[in-house]
Amino acid sequence: MDLSDRHALVTGASRGIGKACALELASRGAAVAVNYRSGEAEAQAVVAKITGAGGRAVAVQGDVSVPEEATAAVSATVEAFGSINVLVNNAGISRDGLIFSMEPEDWLAVMNVNFGGTFNCTRAAAEHMMRERDGAIVNVSSVMGIGAWVGQANYAASKGAVNAFTRCAALEFARFGIRVNAVMPGFSPTELVQELVEKAGRSIKKQIPMRRMAEVEEVARTVAFLAGPDASGITGSLLPIDGGVSMQLGLGKPE
Amino acid sequence: MDRSEIESVVHEAVAEALALDDDEVTPEATLMDELGAESIDLLDILFRLERGIGVKIQAADLTEHVQGGIPDEEFGDDDEIITEKGLAHLTTVMPQIDPEEHKGTLRADEVMNLFTVDNLVDMVVARKAAAS
Repeated sequence: MDLSDRHALVTGASRGIGKACALELASRGAAVAVNYRSGEAEAQAVVAKITGAGGRAVAVQGDVSVPEEATAAVSATVEAFGSINVLVNNAGISRDGLIFSMEPEDWLAVMNVNFGGTFNCTRAAAEHMMRERDGAIVNVSSVMGIGAWVGQANYAASKGAVNAFTRCAALEFARFGIRVNAVMPGFSPTELVQELVEKAGRSIKKQIPMRRMAEVEEVARTVAFLAGPDASGITGSLLPIDGGVSMQLGLGKPE
Repeated sequence: MDRSEIESVVHEAVAEALALDDDEVTPEATLMDELGAESIDLLDILFRLERGIGVKIQAADLTEHVQGGIPDEEFGDDDEIITEKGLAHLTTVMPQIDPEEHKGTLRADEVMNLFTVDNLVDMVVARKAAAS
């Protein structure tokens, strides 16, 4: 699927799933704005990799949880490429802990980045996309948005918010030619879940029907699909990329 | 772009945004009351006009245009009924209304219900002229 007329902003793209999304979109010809908050060197490395392969990319600094910075990141994308028609809301953080001992700032910070960043960037990009009647937004949610995990109440709630927002945004923007979808990775080996994977990697894999985690490139390819013309009839969908973990009722087999 | 060209773009935008047949969009039809436009429909119409005519109109501009810069407290009285001064202005932007019919009874929140397709065309024509 050719994306060479697409101009994308990927938030939190200096590493993990965001980086994979930036590289995947660029490999299909899209011009990509690589947003980062603090990892400038890593973001520049992603840009260098894209431009080195003949692609177009710029690094765009900005904390998407701050509305003005999210707007500035969108503006920088438009300035660099002339327009924005793909937005991947990927930037996310986690602050795991039991609800019993969770401080208010722990859920607020997670909510501000994971949901707030998605809201802020969507809001900022929407006006450009509405005017052109052309746009695709892909939110990187999580199966945690539809399930539960001990110690991730704040993260799960933020992803549940992203899922609800995805549906509402898809509904409101459909008539403006903008599609909004979300992917819900299960366990994917990124720094965000590194601690969890290291501690419980083996027991997690046993619970996944496919017996492996989703690679970040698999998530990125799905994001690119949803962002591109092959998904032209899809909006408001929440697509799990989890090796089947969220669909099974529980572990067990016949005697 | 002359008035008839603008009129045709406005009619098409209204028909498409509201999923109406072309013949349902008449000049005298009121956008909200008769054609059923809601806030998201207005937004859709305005973005279509921006694209088709190149004139940027915000939803807030519509009410401002109708109120003509008259302060709230002079536009409506304490009971939110449109004042004579307000009515006098309304007849300039919505020439189809009969001030006698609405005198002392028209509530401020009902004013936009009287806004017709042709009133929108007038506004767009004026904006386009002001911009060029």
